[in-house]
Amino acid sequence: MTSHAAAAEGHAHEHHYTTTGLDNRKVAIWSFIGSECMLFASLISTYLIYKGRSVVGPLPHETWTDPSTGAVFKPILNIPITSASTFVLLMSSLAMVLALAAVENKDKPLPANAGWWDRQLASSKLWLWCTCILGATFLGFQAFEFTSFVHEGLTLRRNLFGSSFFTLTGFHGAHVTVGVIWLGSLLAIDYKRGLRPSDTLMVDIAALYWHFVDVVWIAIFTLVYLIK
Amino acid sequence: MTRFFRPRQLVPVLSVATLPLLFAACSGNYPNSTFQHTTEFNRDLTSLWNQMMWWGLAVFVIVETLLVYVIVRFRRRPDSPEPRHVHGNALMEISWTVAPALILAIIAVPTVRSIWKYQTPAPNGSLQIEVIGHQWWWEFKYPEHGITTANEIYLPVGRTVNFTLRSADVIHSFWIPGLGGKRDAVSNQVNHLWYTPDSVGVTGWIGSCNEYCGASHANMRFRVFTVAPADFDSWANHQKAKAVYPPPAPDTVAVRQVAAAPAPAPAAIAEGYVFPAAQRPAHVVPATPIPAGNTFTEGLTGDPQRGLAIYSRSACIGCHKIDGNPMSIGIIGPNLTHIASRATIAGGLFPNDTRHMQLWIKNARKMKPGVTMNSLGKGEFDPILKMTVTVGGLTDQEIADIAAYLQMLK
Amino acid sequence: MATAATAPAYTSSESHGATGLMSWLTTVDHKRIGILYLHTSLFFFVVGGLEAIIMRYQLMRPNMQAVSAETFNQLFTMHGTTMVFLVIMPLSAAFFNFLIPLQIGARDVAFPRLNAFSYWVYLLGGVFITLPILFGLAPDGGWFAYAPLTTRTYSPTQNMNFWVLGVQILGVSSLAAAFNFATTIINMRAPGMNLMRMPMFTWMSFVVQWLIILAFPVITVALFFLQFDRFFGTNFYTVTAGADPLLWQHLFWIFGHPEVYILILPAFGLVSEVLPTNSKKPLFGYPVMAYSGILIGFLGFGVWAHHMFAVGMGPMADTVFGVTTMLIAIPTGVKIFNWIFTMWGGSLRFNTAMKYAIALIGMFTIGGISGITHASPPSDLQQTDTYYIVAHFHYVLFGGAIMGIFSGIYHYFPKMYGRKMDEGLGNLHFWLNFIALNLTFFPMHFSGMLGMPRRIYTYDAGQGWETFNLISSIGAFLMAPAMLVFLYNFFKSKKHGEVAGDNPWDAPTLEWSIPSPPPEYNFAQIPMVTSRYPMWDITHPERTAEIPHSTKGWDEARHRSDEHILPGGGHMADMAPAHIETAAKTASELDIPMPTPTIKPLLVALGMLVMVASLLPFFAGKTSAFVVLLAIGAGTMIYSLYDWLTTPLEEAH
Repeated sequence: MTSHAAAAEGHAHEHHYTTTGLDNRKVAIWSFIGSECMLFASLISTYLIYKGRSVVGPLPHETWTDPSTGAVFKPILNIPITSASTFVLLMSSLAMVLALAAVENKDKPLPANAGWWDRQLASSKLWLWCTCILGATFLGFQAFEFTSFVHEGLTLRRNLFGSSFFTLTGFHGAHVTVGVIWLGSLLAIDYKRGLRPSDTLMVDIAALYWHFVDVVWIAIFTLVYLIK
Repeated sequence: MTRFFRPRQLVPVLSVATLPLLFAACSGNYPNSTFQHTTEFNRDLTSLWNQMMWWGLAVFVIVETLLVYVIVRFRRRPDSPEPRHVHGNALMEISWTVAPALILAIIAVPTVRSIWKYQTPAPNGSLQIEVIGHQWWWEFKYPEHGITTANEIYLPVGRTVNFTLRSADVIHSFWIPGLGGKRDAVSNQVNHLWYTPDSVGVTGWIGSCNEYCGASHANMRFRVFTVAPADFDSWANHQKAKAVYPPPAPDTVAVRQVAAAPAPAPAAIAEGYVFPAAQRPAHVVPATPIPAGNTFTEGLTGDPQRGLAIYSRSACIGCHKIDGNPMSIGIIGPNLTHIASRATIAGGLFPNDTRHMQLWIKNARKMKPGVTMNSLGKGEFDPILKMTVTVGGLTDQEIADIAAYLQMLK
Repeated sequence: MATAATAPAYTSSESHGATGLMSWLTTVDHKRIGILYLHTSLFFFVVGGLEAIIMRYQLMRPNMQAVSAETFNQLFTMHGTTMVFLVIMPLSAAFFNFLIPLQIGARDVAFPRLNAFSYWVYLLGGVFITLPILFGLAPDGGWFAYAPLTTRTYSPTQNMNFWVLGVQILGVSSLAAAFNFATTIINMRAPGMNLMRMPMFTWMSFVVQWLIILAFPVITVALFFLQFDRFFGTNFYTVTAGADPLLWQHLFWIFGHPEVYILILPAFGLVSEVLPTNSKKPLFGYPVMAYSGILIGFLGFGVWAHHMFAVGMGPMADTVFGVTTMLIAIPTGVKIFNWIFTMWGGSLRFNTAMKYAIALIGMFTIGGISGITHASPPSDLQQTDTYYIVAHFHYVLFGGAIMGIFSGIYHYFPKMYGRKMDEGLGNLHFWLNFIALNLTFFPMHFSGMLGMPRRIYTYDAGQGWETFNLISSIGAFLMAPAMLVFLYNFFKSKKHGEVAGDNPWDAPTLEWSIPSPPPEYNFAQIPMVTSRYPMWDITHPERTAEIPHSTKGWDEARHRSDEHILPGGGHMADMAPAHIETAAKTASELDIPMPTPTIKPLLVALGMLVMVASLLPFFAGKTSAFVVLLAIGAGTMIYSLYDWLTTPLEEAH
């Protein structure tokens, strides 16, 4: 039974006749990603529309002085730290690619002269671990960022910037969290029975989702952090 | 099962049923009709409507005629031959793609012209009126004259009026159907709407809120009086003055009353122009029945002097402003400086007379759903706070006094 | 027609033993789920209709006091919400479920359990949003829920919570179903069933799935903002924080306008099946009908701000949205003429389905014409938010969508139940409905243009609106007997209707090639099609002689036949050129693997609902109740979801 874990929906046969030749799950994940694009487009647009409309600080890129108390709030976005977390997430996508390749090629014998690196490349566990850990690291950065923002006076309720910023990045963080759990479940299967090339599709779908979440972050990083 | 119903018998029935509807639509008294040629705006909109309606009617007649023809002509009969199996016809399909496109292009021209014409700033010299929508009443300010009033606008015939629309809370929509299109009063946004009531008589109009805004959305009406320019000036000059009660000295009143009797004209100027109650068209006089459960002791006579004192120490002053009464400086509720000159109270829901005023003060929330103004009468049940008014509640006599005072604020 | 002799009420799950409540709670058969959708949405139709009748009673005369302002506001909010989300969309979903796999020659949908999940979420969400009206707690902010009225400041009670949470739940249902049907249509068509051979209903459904996929996330976001504002104190719509109240309107209508096409296109699809069948003629201009549907869907995303011409967007935005709105009339007009010319020269059979289909053409045209008058922004300033608009969209949604759906119900009832609905009662239902529709909504054009605003619970005497409101109310009362006749006919015909046979209307498409009601596996042999009208190819080859036939796609299918399994299970040897199936064997006799019935989708839906409902005590500050409910809901959902994901769809076969 559990051999089908995370195979989720779809008839339990490996080779299905379909009109397009693609598996149903693959078609479904693409339509799901289409839907997610609209979700993030709405969130990002809202953030951009509300940029500059907040009546109190802290603000993303500008210093704000409270007229009543004289308290000074410095620009709140920490671009160097977020650049680092962006790099981490990008690297996780790379690890994901390697994990997928490792599963896909599992039945291919290693060449006789395979070195240490070749053996590592063939390890789906290693790359899944890497993806998970890098994803979790990104979430750690986000937790740190959120905490320090709250510390500096920016909360969900503080102003329009706070509401739209935390909601947008929070939604993205929630997507990353789902992705980490998803990859974790693949890892669990890998430990339990080993992922085979016949499981490629299962990993491929998770990878598509993961890359999508990564691409969304690039958009967020550019539009929210880099553009003033 | 046999057929209950023979559709062909319906044709005469339907035509007979439709006729009175058409008659009703073409005759009768429709004071709020949007097709009145009162302003340049409404004339343009009506002409736009007419163009669209003729085209629409043409399309309607073509489609429905074809449909009826098809239904009658191609009904299956025992001897019906097997039809020809046409799968399409490119030429026909192109023609009924292009034809509507042409009609739409024709309609688009006056449409776009009107959009740009009425969304430019109002002409110089327009009468400025600031409109602020509240749940559920309208605040109107005439910055030119320094007037603040509620639920009632006076417009001089022939002068362009430029409404500047704001909202104090949720989104409302300002509409006087007889004079022109509507525009929303949106929170955190300033909108404009202008037109010139140049072809109107001296008469009254109904305005309403058109964007759903909560419990009493239906009860957010206002009155518009289009008056002669001189009368407008008289009205405005009087409205901008402070409240005339309390009078400077008791004798003056007596003297003026005596003097006024033989020569009413100067007194009328002193009072300022008010649209004569007798000339108000029927539809601007509210006919709202008093909701069940609102009662007031019969036969009480209010004393305005006492009313002034009670008003000035009661909750009233926290929300209402009366220029000339230094205690009354609230801004949440309507400005009451010249309340007695207005035709209606309560967002246009009731006529402005002593009886309605008394009931309103006693328990506004039972008179109009959801209003901000608490129930004030002693022993009254407040339907929003869900409790009975005890401490600080007003007796009927006190309410009658306050009403008497307010009725003095001409 | 061999199976007709004993045509039973619906029993298609013989191999799983079942009738009885449990079989319905655990079903994953798309046909049974379709029937569940149909019954549930008919129930909500009655609820929404009663709400309307109470409103029309209150508005029958000026200054009536039959219901309070608060109650009236709840009634119109729930009437709109119910009719859009709980009636028309799920009625369409009933047909998506029942018909799409049958029309494309598949044995199932792509994800049968997800399909069951969609239904249960819809049912539970519908109950969640409807039940509060019995306690005076129903949402009261309008079906459009404009902020800031719906924020906590101006709607401090629980009422609007049921809406913001309920609509979100219903969105999950619609989205899950849309992914499912989009995948089904893309991927599970029978060999030879290429896109330009799909029945028009499937075509329109395909467009609708994409509209749902792309439009619903936008309302999801708008709702999250409103929920966060109400529950967690964010500022998305807080006026004092500088928020733009138009943000809600833009997001809502970016969803809301495509939603209109989500409501109407399935009905367009249904009449595009009914008209050719009852005219003995193929659909006139099939490719144009398909393209115009796509174009309507595409343009539907570019016209949302025509709901906002009065908000002060500025002349440029008004111009752009006015023009795009006019453009959308073109493909719609094309459809009207193509339908008329489908009938032109035909041999028209006036059964009830046909009458409803023709009524759609006639009535939708009226709605379309009045639509043009407010596509023009200046003209709209005299129309928006008046009864003229109420008249317009009821001609579109009642005169269009509901007429089309009734047409579909009468047409497909025999396929669902093996029996026909009574034509006499159907005729009575049609005429009552048709008269009631016009009597109710036509006068509203007048009351609107004579200055009557929408959404008012009362109006003053002497405003010139009395006559029209009285007529409208009488019309609305007439809808009740119409509906009663329909319901009587529906339930009576299920058991006692005339036995229909496989193809009672002599229709051209694949769903009519199998027994009525269809066996649970739909097709014993997967049909390989050569044209748009596979049944007419067999029964009336002369009708399809002029369109191209080919076996395109067959070779590819055969090529894969060695290793592949058919859509919905079964082996390639089960494939045969389109044919009439009479065999009534069970799935196991035919060695067709069928998905195992399961209660898990229901449990996941239930867990999700409890989780969402936990926010109600949270709103009231009852933290412990919130935590308990959240834990129960999340626990049920996560456990059942795990169970679902780790259990294969079919038992080992």
